[in-house]
Amino acid sequence: MPDCAVAVVDTNVLLNLATPVVDGRSKAPSGEDPLKTLLTGCDVHVPASVLGEVTDATGDDDLLAAAAGLVLQAADHIATHDVDDRADEPINYGLDQGEAEGVWLANELEADLFITDEFSTTNYLFINLVLADRNTLFTTPHILCTFVTHDILPVEYVDTVLSYYVETKGWERQYVAQLRQEYLHD
Amino acid sequence: MAEEKARVNFNAPKSLVERADCVVEILDISRTRLLIDALEDELEAFANDDEFRRRLSDAYYEGDVDYDTVEAILGREEAMRLKLLRESIDRTPAVPTLTDGLPSDDAFYDGEVSQWTDSESADSDDESRA
Repeated sequence: MPDCAVAVVDTNVLLNLATPVVDGRSKAPSGEDPLKTLLTGCDVHVPASVLGEVTDATGDDDLLAAAAGLVLQAADHIATHDVDDRADEPINYGLDQGEAEGVWLANELEADLFITDEFSTTNYLFINLVLADRNTLFTTPHILCTFVTHDILPVEYVDTVLSYYVETKGWERQYVAQLRQEYLHD
Repeated sequence: MAEEKARVNFNAPKSLVERADCVVEILDISRTRLLIDALEDELEAFANDDEFRRRLSDAYYEGDVDYDTVEAILGREEAMRLKLLRESIDRTPAVPTLTDGLPSDDAFYDGEVSQWTDSESADSDDESRA
């Protein structure tokens, strides 16, 4: 995929994007597939630990496990890297393995995007500190808004799915509101 | 060097002042010391209260309070996180490309895409926090 943006993503991004696709409840938005959209529109890379964390999430009979199952069904579209042998272990600042290795991989690949949904905790601050180019740092809601501005996903769907995430994932309401104002309601 | 002090006058219910004076006498501290301690405890409690933190971050995003205020109340790490997140909103990511549209589920996914429904209870929240 020579013209695709290179994106390194965290575990929670893959699970969050898969969640509305497999959520069969009435309150879940339907008609689009944000996971397939990201994996088709970008050249997505992860450290092996991320798919390990996804696999660990498949154990139960719940929505998270269903989302994890869908991510594994799409694993052929995710480039996986073994980063166990990374030299000079960077300072991890308390980031989990997937996050720390993801940042390392993003720096190594000089990725166009590092996407994480750890924006509600101080981990977001630490990721800013260890990422070589903080201008490549984005969140799932920000990327979803970009899909609207590039006519990849309809604004109605993204509007609805953002509300779904705020309600079910506890995403910061005001941050999402600012993204909406900037990208969806001009 | 000791921090500059500001004088504050306020009215309070007489019974509350009397209760405070009882405590002051027992602890053998000044009324001012008791009030300062109580105020610091209350502010610390607010800083750790999720609802207050949400309202403060809302006010920051809307420009009603500045960075220094957020830092003074929530601490430097949390204030920096909010600052970086607010600054990132204007950032433009690399453009995703979908020249041929999206493939079908059959072509894209390994196996059938199945839907999860909560058979135990109706539409409960937060079961999938990732």
